[in-house]
Amino acid sequence: MAEVFLEARDITVRFGGLTAVDAVSATFHAGELVGIIGPNGAGKTTFFNAISGVIAPTSGQLVAGGRSLAGRPPHHYAAAGVARTFQTPRVFADMTVAANIDFGLKFAGRKRAGAWHLRDEQSILELIGLAQLAGRPAAAITPSQQRVLEIGMALATRPRMLLLDEVAAGLTEAEVHDMAQLITRMRDELDLTVVWIEHAVSTLLRYVERVIVLHQGRKIADGTPQEVVRNAEVIEAYLGDEMEEAAA
Amino acid sequence: MNSRPTLVRDLLVLLAFAGWALALPHYGSEFMVSMALTCLMYVALSSSWGLFCGSTRYMSLATSAFFGVGAYTSAVFLGQLSWVESIALGAALSAVVAVLMGLAVLHLRGTYFAVLTFGMTELIMYAVIYFEKRYSGTVGRVLTVVPENDVIYLTVLLLAMLAVLLSILLRRSRFGLALMGIGADEQRAQTLGVNTRLIKTAGFALTAAFGGAVGAAMAVRWTYIDPHTVFNPFIGFQTVLIALIGGAVTLWGPLIAAIVFSVLAETLRLQFPQIYMMSLGLLLILCVLYLPGGLASLRGSTFTGWWQDSRQWWRQLGRKEHKNG
Repeated sequence: MAEVFLEARDITVRFGGLTAVDAVSATFHAGELVGIIGPNGAGKTTFFNAISGVIAPTSGQLVAGGRSLAGRPPHHYAAAGVARTFQTPRVFADMTVAANIDFGLKFAGRKRAGAWHLRDEQSILELIGLAQLAGRPAAAITPSQQRVLEIGMALATRPRMLLLDEVAAGLTEAEVHDMAQLITRMRDELDLTVVWIEHAVSTLLRYVERVIVLHQGRKIADGTPQEVVRNAEVIEAYLGDEMEEAAA
Repeated sequence: MNSRPTLVRDLLVLLAFAGWALALPHYGSEFMVSMALTCLMYVALSSSWGLFCGSTRYMSLATSAFFGVGAYTSAVFLGQLSWVESIALGAALSAVVAVLMGLAVLHLRGTYFAVLTFGMTELIMYAVIYFEKRYSGTVGRVLTVVPENDVIYLTVLLLAMLAVLLSILLRRSRFGLALMGIGADEQRAQTLGVNTRLIKTAGFALTAAFGGAVGAAMAVRWTYIDPHTVFNPFIGFQTVLIALIGGAVTLWGPLIAAIVFSVLAETLRLQFPQIYMMSLGLLLILCVLYLPGGLASLRGSTFTGWWQDSRQWWRQLGRKEHKNG
């Protein structure tokens, strides 16, 4: 197995009395394509927020690229090579598409030499397929294009790890296919560790190599898609015990 | 927007403006020069306010605090220090105050930030009052060493030009981009690698330094100062109003509005003293309603838009009358 890039140990996030993420440990290796699934309210996005620095975990350790990061502000994560997208695209609406890409290059991406595909604004725009829209204001492109732009902004930080939060939600079948191809390509050609959260399980399982399943804030399974779909606890989490009743 | 021709154009406009302001004392009446000085003071305050508050959308009402700190610096030290030194010290002390204030309130946004900066201004003012009464045994201070009027005018002109010049240059820098990013989506900017805390504190301190320098320069005009005049919250409000009326995110907005506002305020005060404040209030309401981007966003199309809107309104009104009759 390749070297470990990010290791999360016993990450717990509490909001008042509610434990959204409960002692979740996970290891992500360099160049791996991992999916995270779980029913609504399972704590997927909260876990993501914790491992990208957007919220500080209540307890637990996080080591990325050899640096201990838990509790530090997000720009430290960006500097360590952890980049992310948001569920609802958060592009800089008033800036052009090209300027949105340029932002990451000017900050977290500035001190790192990127892969060939990440050498400048133009190469990133070509990689994500938005080169024709470079001069348009980001507010004027379609929501699915904004999703792609979000990925481009994250790539501009020249990361080693990319966290994708429901990038395929609300896309058409063809768009989902394009998105999956882009994700596979990024992993293959940029040697990125990609962690992909998706609510639509079947889409995700088709493309990832390993799946982590969260349920009520806990990790209940971690393995290949084939193993995970046969896991009794996972089936129960998703379908309730009607399944067993029907079988009996 | 960041192209080279725009940079050259902006610099030329600034140079022309500086030349005009420089020539004014030689042909203008004493009244005009004193009005121009007020004007330049607000150009410096509003442009530097827009630098930080405009692009990050952190609405600071603390300008009077920085102004007052600067004013007291020159009141206390002008005897021992030279003119330039006391202005630099005023700027430095205000920047220090801003850093301390920033550490306490810059994690808050919107109304909370605005109200707290206002509260801190009051706190500083009452601290000064207390200190003066208790330890200096005075209410106000008399400034005895006062430079020539020309020197004051030139200093404030220089500060105003410096504020605009800095706005022009910052727009093209990483620092300026970081400030814009914070204004657009602070958390997103953080995840893309911006150390927002550092940038915000630095930006706030920069704005404060201008407030302090202007305060230090303007204090000598009054010859007698007390906390209620130099920490007057109206200075802070007026700075914000001018920046908003002109367009806080624009480069020339604060400058244009400072001129329009000062001329208008003086004219109204002299011609119609009864309705002076009322008409300024009305102007602000109209600006916010119909010109949210500020005076600097005015284009030919804005007027044709208004014209079309009003024609449509008339037509609808006519149709209604027709139906009713």
